[in-house]
Amino acid sequence: MAARLKNSSNDRLTIRINGELREFEIGPDLEPLTTLSEFLRERLGYTGLKISCDEGACGACTIIMDGKAVLSCMLLAMEADGKDLVTIEGLPKDDPVLEAFAEQCEPGHGTALQCGFCTPGFVMTTRALLNENPTPTLDEVKEALSGNLCRCGCYDGITMAVLHASEKITLRRGQA
Amino acid sequence: MNTPYKPRIHRRFIGGYMPRIDALEKAQGRAPYADDIISERNYPGLLHVRVLCSPYPRARIIRLDASKAAAMPGVKAILTYQDPEVKRMKPTNASWTDGVDTLSYERMMWTKFKDRQVLGNYATWAGDEVGVAIAAESEHIAEQALKLVEVEWEVLPFVLDPLIALQPEAPVIHPEITLNNVLPPDPVGGPDIFMTKGDAKQAFTTADVILEMDTSNHNPTQGALDPWCCLAQWEGDRLTIVSNSFHADQTRMHISQMLELPIHNVRVISKYVGGQFGRANTGEQPFFIFTALLAKKTGRPVKFKHTRRDSFHDTRVSALYHCKVGAKTDGTITALQFKSIGDIGGHADGSVFALKFAPAEISEVAFAPIPNVTMESYAVYTNHIPGGIMRGVGNSQFNFIFGRMIDGLAERLEMDPISLAIKNFGHEWGTCPDPSLKAVLEIGAQRLDWYKKRHKPGAGPLYDGVNRRGVGFSLHPAWHAEWQEERRGQIQAKITLLPDGTVILDTPTTEIGTGSNTCNVLGCAEALSFLGVRPEDITWSSTVDSDTGMRDCVQTDSAVSYLQSEVLVVAAQELKVKLLDLAAPILGIAGDRLEITEGRIIGPGKNISIKELLMKGDLMPLSVTVSRSPAKQRTGVPYFASFAEVEVNTATGRTQVLKLIIVNDCGTVMYASGAEAQQIGGQVMAVGEALTEEIVYDPIHGVPLNFNFIDYKIPTILDMPKIEPVLLEIWRGAGEYGACGIGEGTITCTPRAIASAVYNAIGTRIDEIPITPEKVLRALGRI
Repeated sequence: MAARLKNSSNDRLTIRINGELREFEIGPDLEPLTTLSEFLRERLGYTGLKISCDEGACGACTIIMDGKAVLSCMLLAMEADGKDLVTIEGLPKDDPVLEAFAEQCEPGHGTALQCGFCTPGFVMTTRALLNENPTPTLDEVKEALSGNLCRCGCYDGITMAVLHASEKITLRRGQA
Repeated sequence: MNTPYKPRIHRRFIGGYMPRIDALEKAQGRAPYADDIISERNYPGLLHVRVLCSPYPRARIIRLDASKAAAMPGVKAILTYQDPEVKRMKPTNASWTDGVDTLSYERMMWTKFKDRQVLGNYATWAGDEVGVAIAAESEHIAEQALKLVEVEWEVLPFVLDPLIALQPEAPVIHPEITLNNVLPPDPVGGPDIFMTKGDAKQAFTTADVILEMDTSNHNPTQGALDPWCCLAQWEGDRLTIVSNSFHADQTRMHISQMLELPIHNVRVISKYVGGQFGRANTGEQPFFIFTALLAKKTGRPVKFKHTRRDSFHDTRVSALYHCKVGAKTDGTITALQFKSIGDIGGHADGSVFALKFAPAEISEVAFAPIPNVTMESYAVYTNHIPGGIMRGVGNSQFNFIFGRMIDGLAERLEMDPISLAIKNFGHEWGTCPDPSLKAVLEIGAQRLDWYKKRHKPGAGPLYDGVNRRGVGFSLHPAWHAEWQEERRGQIQAKITLLPDGTVILDTPTTEIGTGSNTCNVLGCAEALSFLGVRPEDITWSSTVDSDTGMRDCVQTDSAVSYLQSEVLVVAAQELKVKLLDLAAPILGIAGDRLEITEGRIIGPGKNISIKELLMKGDLMPLSVTVSRSPAKQRTGVPYFASFAEVEVNTATGRTQVLKLIIVNDCGTVMYASGAEAQQIGGQVMAVGEALTEEIVYDPIHGVPLNFNFIDYKIPTILDMPKIEPVLLEIWRGAGEYGACGIGEGTITCTPRAIASAVYNAIGTRIDEIPITPEKVLRALGRI
């Protein structure tokens, strides 16, 4: 994929964003030092991802690049040339991860979100985890999410949401 | 495990387990926060501001030359301390109010502590926003331009330790306020000895047992993931502010009075806020003012935003507490004396709220059965980051010594600390033993298996050759009952019934994550259940806009969850009267012969649905706006507690929390999923405060070293234990629901519960949080 998408020109980037192939010119809005998070959020309006720490410590800017969860604040926009990106805006409305995060209210675990600022990051990290491993163990879930901070402290509700999303995926596969 | 709580009264919607009303919007990343809204797309021509942050803990700017910055392409305006509009700005404080009410400049809480000058030239901590602010086409240009400003500093001696700041030779940090670095007595906080009951001194002479102890807490920061962000935009003489401040009405008052604008010429809008936790003390920040001045100067919309580093902007007040307790041998406490020395950092702000106001509130209730109590406090300026309001303000610090006193006295008397607590604490309007306190402690003990797991300090079994386990608990009286919210004044709510029977609910409050929006909708549906209204029939506005003319109810004290629902009960009754007035002529039946039940209007020979009725009318939306003050009825307070089990690695010194039981008597649970989320969620902040979070300074240069989320260690999902939330309905407050806020306090008891558990595990006390591996190893004599 990367090889096919990669643009031969040095003054242009080709990035697939949420399924759409887009070309960008390097200029005042896209400088060599523009981070991918800033480019996506501020220039292109994908405000679902949040910039909170801007140094790879909180996970709020997580997106999926070529199938892997990445911290978009730790990448330059230039590094996304030829890549396939998915932001939270690119997830389908019935994505089981979105649904599970929204629905979590199982007694004893609280909700999976409160202020919601970190949520898109957790959702994207979870989406990447479940793409690779649709039935993770509790330890695998925690390990995968350990780079995302939730100051409201909804880790328990988040864990339940991930497990429920996993169940939904299994169920839907069974029905398909 | 995970047994849902049992409601005292089963209600249709209130108290339910259900998803939050904003859950899908937030999960999909569609919920708009200030930083999402304030963009070039929405505000063409948007400029960005950077402000100079002092690199020194104490210094004065004696000369500033911004000419090179002004010449930089993309720089649009520069504001400095020398500009006339800045110079004439009156001195201020960043905490005009603690948030519950709107207060003016003249009536601000801390009239004696106006130690802040907007963009002044005197810095009192390394990070103070001073001297010069630049508006430019991008944040990057503004940042670069700031580096071109030539600043000549007079670097002044500084002091970080409050005990040294008290010495006569210490630098005087705010001579306009105090010459000995101690805040003088003030009308709100009172004198140094701010609480006296009976005669503690005399009572100590006759006590069977006297015990003295000290504790020390640090200054954790709120750490909201959504950094401060605001927009200022002028249209003629009218200023609009969009921000992630959480009290629009107060922000409007602040800006109107600092800039001397008529109130109607200031409009304040807020949407979702990515965490609040009491930050910014809690909001009268100078950056609103210089951002507005830069917008005026340029005629363009201007955005100010903190970086993560900047957002380390204020903290909890760190305090050294001393306690002396006198008791009889049967465990009856006869005398209590507390003294604190608070490190308030470089600005006074709301620090006295933490050091005097909150402890006085606690003593009013919890210590009511104790005849002799003295409380004394000294708020001391240092050149640390300012301390003031943070979730659990004042209560968290006080609980750390309060719980220590219970644990220590029980140990001395060879009593169970739970029995000792039940024997001694209650509230003025109740009986001892207090039913709420008793229930909270007994259920917590049962859930943790307290009596089985508790052992003599350090005398438990050794696990894996190096680990020691222990248990601890702490308790606290709530400070969010309705009578404690009296200062809020009127709380407003508006219900609009549309012709098809659906509802627009206007209960203005900025959604900061607490879930009170869901409480509002549940409360509205409950109050309108006679109309057959369900939560999904109600639209709740997530925008707070001061131009609506309604005052927002601020998310402090976790009280919004029930305060607005109580008002909705009254609003629903008024709506019913209006509906009957509307129905009578349409149906040709006198209103007093009509009944409304389950969405139908029933009268002699008539039975039609509300929707049918409304559709027969003039199709006007039917609105009621109700204002109501919180009930004054002195109902006392409910209690809450944390129980902790820890494991301490005696080789590495690492403390791991194995389990937390969080018990809250809520009066009435308004929204169970939200309440549990607060109980569980608060523990991230509490465990961080107890074990890992700490601002570290370079003592030589006085500068903070870890204003980032890598070195300032907020617990991750891997650091958190199993948390069991327990909701109870024992106590009852005033009103239809008789509820009490719980969210803020959920973090208050846990640090003490953990510290006592560590003592139980290793047999040596560590009364200084955070309990780092180093402190554990030192306590064990390993280093």
